[in-house]
Amino acid sequence: MSRRRPLRTALIGAFVALAVIAAGPFVLDTYTTNILIRAFFLAALAMTVDVLWGYTGILTFGQSAFFGIGAYACALTFTHYGFGPGWAIGALLAGMGTAMVVAALIGWLAFYHGASPLYASIITLALPIVFVQLIFAGGRFTGSSSGLSAFPTYYWAFETWFWIAGTYLVLVATVAWIFVKSDFGRLLVAIRENEDRCAYLGIPVSGVKITLMVAAGAIGAGAGFGYSAFTNVVAPELGGFLLGTELLIWTALGGRGTLLGPIFGAIGIDVTASYLTGALPFLWTLLVGIAFIVVIVFLPEGLAPIIGRRLRAAGQALNLVGAPHVSSYSVKAINPGSHASEDVEVPLRTEGLQRHYGSLKVLDGISLEARKAEILSIVGPNGAGKTTFMRCVSDGGERSGGKVFINGAEIGRFAPHRVAKLGVGRSFQNTNLFDTLTVGECLMLARFKTDGAQKFSRRESLDLPEPALAILRATELADAMTLETRNLSHGMKRGLELAMVLATEPSVLLLDEPTAGLTKAERTAIGDVLVKLANDHRLCIVLIEHDLDFVRDISSRIVVLHQGALLMQGTVEEVINSDLVKAVYAGEDAESVK
Amino acid sequence: MAILVLDMLTTSLILFVVAAGLMIILGVMKLINFAHGAFLTVGGYTAMLTTDAGVSPWLSGPLALIFGFFGGLLIERFIVRPLYDRPLDAILATWGLGIVIGQLITLGFGREVQFAASPLEGTLTLGAIDYSAYRLAVSGIALAIGAGLTALLYLTRFGLNARAVIMNETLARGLGIDSARVRAFTFGLGAGLACAAGALITPLLSVDPNMGLPWLVNSFMLVLVSGVSIPSLLLASLLLGSAQVLVSTFVSPILGGMTIVVLAAAILRINPRGLSFG
Amino acid sequence: MSIKKLSAATLLAIGAFAGSTLAEEPVKIGIPVGLSGANSVVAPSVVQSAELAAEEINAAGGILGHPIELVVADDGSGAQGAQRAFDSLVFQSEVDVLISMETSAARNAGLPIVNRGQVPYIYTSFYEGRSCSPWMYINAWVPEQQVAPIVDHFMAEYEAKTFFLIGSDYAFGRGMLEFTRTYVEANGGEILGEEYLPMDGSDWTAIISQLRSAAPDALITSTAGGAPNVTLTKQLRAAGVNIPYGNLAVDEGTAKTMGGDATGIYIAASYLTSIPSDENQDFLAAMETKFGEDLKTPNDLSVPQYEAIYAYKAAAEMAGSVEPQAIIDALDDVAVTGPRGTIQMNAQRHAPLTMYLGQVQADGSVEVISTFEDVDPGEQCPQFAG
Repeated sequence: MSRRRPLRTALIGAFVALAVIAAGPFVLDTYTTNILIRAFFLAALAMTVDVLWGYTGILTFGQSAFFGIGAYACALTFTHYGFGPGWAIGALLAGMGTAMVVAALIGWLAFYHGASPLYASIITLALPIVFVQLIFAGGRFTGSSSGLSAFPTYYWAFETWFWIAGTYLVLVATVAWIFVKSDFGRLLVAIRENEDRCAYLGIPVSGVKITLMVAAGAIGAGAGFGYSAFTNVVAPELGGFLLGTELLIWTALGGRGTLLGPIFGAIGIDVTASYLTGALPFLWTLLVGIAFIVVIVFLPEGLAPIIGRRLRAAGQALNLVGAPHVSSYSVKAINPGSHASEDVEVPLRTEGLQRHYGSLKVLDGISLEARKAEILSIVGPNGAGKTTFMRCVSDGGERSGGKVFINGAEIGRFAPHRVAKLGVGRSFQNTNLFDTLTVGECLMLARFKTDGAQKFSRRESLDLPEPALAILRATELADAMTLETRNLSHGMKRGLELAMVLATEPSVLLLDEPTAGLTKAERTAIGDVLVKLANDHRLCIVLIEHDLDFVRDISSRIVVLHQGALLMQGTVEEVINSDLVKAVYAGEDAESVK
Repeated sequence: MAILVLDMLTTSLILFVVAAGLMIILGVMKLINFAHGAFLTVGGYTAMLTTDAGVSPWLSGPLALIFGFFGGLLIERFIVRPLYDRPLDAILATWGLGIVIGQLITLGFGREVQFAASPLEGTLTLGAIDYSAYRLAVSGIALAIGAGLTALLYLTRFGLNARAVIMNETLARGLGIDSARVRAFTFGLGAGLACAAGALITPLLSVDPNMGLPWLVNSFMLVLVSGVSIPSLLLASLLLGSAQVLVSTFVSPILGGMTIVVLAAAILRINPRGLSFG
Repeated sequence: MSIKKLSAATLLAIGAFAGSTLAEEPVKIGIPVGLSGANSVVAPSVVQSAELAAEEINAAGGILGHPIELVVADDGSGAQGAQRAFDSLVFQSEVDVLISMETSAARNAGLPIVNRGQVPYIYTSFYEGRSCSPWMYINAWVPEQQVAPIVDHFMAEYEAKTFFLIGSDYAFGRGMLEFTRTYVEANGGEILGEEYLPMDGSDWTAIISQLRSAAPDALITSTAGGAPNVTLTKQLRAAGVNIPYGNLAVDEGTAKTMGGDATGIYIAASYLTSIPSDENQDFLAAMETKFGEDLKTPNDLSVPQYEAIYAYKAAAEMAGSVEPQAIIDALDDVAVTGPRGTIQMNAQRHAPLTMYLGQVQADGSVEVISTFEDVDPGEQCPQFAG
């Protein structure tokens, strides 16, 4: 379990790949060399699709546009402006720069909190269509449909180009490999699996996606530049929608989320297509289409994992490969970070909070305060607006009116990750976490807000605040750091979720039915921890609960919501003994407490 | 001026009828059917075969509807149903399906541009102006289809079930609605509508294996902007379709071709709920 | 033999050397053509005319005693496919010459490969003009040759002064209409509008409305082949547009399938099946005999292919070898008489052609209205002229 393992594997792999590429032109004929050069550039592009789609879950149809931007930067510069080393570098930078600006724009359009993945996909679909229209409309300048060709370029030998293309592919693949195997890579997977949860842990999901898009755009533009400089041709189809979908097909067939699968998928299919030219003009596309459907429906992981398992089994038989790397973390306690909130006595305050759906008022003018070192329970029958209240407090985009102050700061229209930065930690009713992440990785994610994530390596130790550690100890999670979360018991998932929220060092803790589905013993343990958090760590805890006994045992104060309005608030005794509350609550009691 | 208004109206209604099948599927199944373009193409070929067989061209729409419906049921069963939990994969599978349908049509009919006879030739005189008779007829049929769909959704048992599934599938299932059946029927209906739309627009155009593709992206944009309701799809079609005609007429037809995409993206960025009512 | 070459093709070539005399080694003619994609409609007719030429030449003793072997490769009608096709023909099949009809995008994509491989290339498709390469000749028409007959006729016969131009937004569409504009204005006419729709666009409503409000004397269109062309014609007819209509992109076959809507359209071409010459009648008869039922009607794109193979034969015989540079030097010195008449490519790598102005009749046939002898392609590649 050496710390450098992924790095070492990647470097060995890169070295071997470079050696193969160095030797390639000496054993391959001119024709094969030639098609491989083009395939290498396309494979680099397919790899960016895999990082975006396979790892992060952004289904993009638009990567081809960045390839096209790079290719046209080369062709336009060499055709119209000048040719030489300075021009070439300038054109490459201009291409990458343009691609990055476009990618940022597309990212801004497609990735905002609450944007549906469908919408993002359609935006990426529109990109190559608009790109091609612009090229067509460019007339003689862009060469319109005919593209540009035979502009001055470097007529180096095929060998040289083979080495350039191969090296580019190996370099970007190695960097990408180290990146996706790093802590940041786990963050990408977390975004794919549960984007919302990431946002509430204070992870700027949209920012991460946009940055990724920008980087992928730059790599794609670089590949396009090389492609165009080598082939001496650009045509609108290089940035078109069809290439965009072909990239997805290569990625799916190769195996999404495997990085190497899509690279070999792209090379394999492109080379096969070249050899079958003329033999099966229409049938080839038909066969690829059928294979694509079959893989998507029956083999969503693609072919790489199957081949990978074979190879690994063979490797292990020969004792070449160790067991797959699993991060284990040593955990140690740290002093809680000093929140700016230290001297704010009322970390959470709402003024006239409202939430409407059309004419339906789910929350109607809720004004309340939650203080340090207190457990404020929100009770009320189903449909009273309790969860909506939590949502409006933790996401600035949710409420229809009123104000929310966290540690004295108005949250405005902040997205959840920015509200989290103000000190709000929120847990959810359901317990979907990140299925394929381990307990340790989940906790690492939760520390992203404070510690960031290693972009090119993996952390070996985790610094967790004492309250989070206390939960880990109480639920025996401390010994399960390498377990994937889907294998945890329900109680452990609840515990992990609470530990994750606490790991973000919140000053306001919003808990939505933290004990739902737990055993009596587990409930008591959680209750003890919460009381301790409030007393010892002076946390402000806001809690939604149906279990009135639990509420009575641990609450400092109780707020009763009814039909979106604040019915009453007060001490436990005041509320429990109130006739008004009894009247309202008892009537619905049977239905609401399950 | 009158011609401009008619252009805007007819273009919008054609867009509406082309996007209707896509919207039904998106609403109930929460999936974007990328084979929509291929379904339009199938409708075009159905119209061609119908008129070639000497059947009245007026019947090509209904025949395409029936053919599309049963084809849709089969596709739903074998390709879409396994992917209910993976909506993005369903997009890709339907895209693959679009490729396969396109290639099969190419193998069967060749890439030649072919024609379906138009039920109405020439122009209709409206006061001082002549206007393409069939465009007016298609617009009327589009409105009728819109009304029919509304009736189906609000006056029938299926409509009630479908609306329940649109609003909250879990709850609907809890109420004893067979949501799998609703989904299957919806996909059939959506496919049938797409084929019928293809058959309807064919007399204005020509038939070739890629005829549906140019309509695909605009349809996506319209249903994303409109959300799931027939009046709001009509509204979105009228607004964006008119914008397209205006830009094409007064600025440039090339920019006109991008109008819907760009406007829709902007509308959705400003208001993620688009133009949907309520 | 270096160890570089391990391809199957090379092994076969070695075998060929070992097992046969030099005289039987074939002359390989590479035909990259759009078997799939946009050109797949016309590609079969191109391949058929090449097959006829090869059969006739082989029956008459081949080229310099070598039989012709055709190597057909699909270019997918686009740039990426063309790169594959040209690569495979030039570097894998190692053809002696490339002769083909392709889209401009495919031609442009192939040219760098032709330049690297130094293979003579005869391009046989009409196109927007001014594509130049030291290794390429072109024996089909360019705008300079095609536009004039139609515009002249409209001005003389219909006294047309004002024109409206409609095209698809692609290189050919824009190239043709730009030239048309220049030509009309140079001859005292006026352009009232020049509008384009994206290449895959098929809804011409807005443009037709503009055309109607501009009320020009005549209309000239240059769209992408296939769907855009026929949808424009249909929608023009449905909108009741009946002014003189010259279509720069329609061919006989498409006109026939369009039925009544095409009636009255003017077209200009270097080949029409109705050309009465003996060479054309013999050619049509030979095609009919060879392909019978499967015959694809010969057209303005497939006949130049047939003639170009004969031009290559003549050049090889004049040069006495198939050595590439010798072929290139000889190609503008040979004249070949074929279905389109006697054609000799010039020093600027293009060919003066006899052009025919035709009008589509109600039965779909094309009637020749007038004939223009030896129309010059003008300044295409002046860099090769000196």
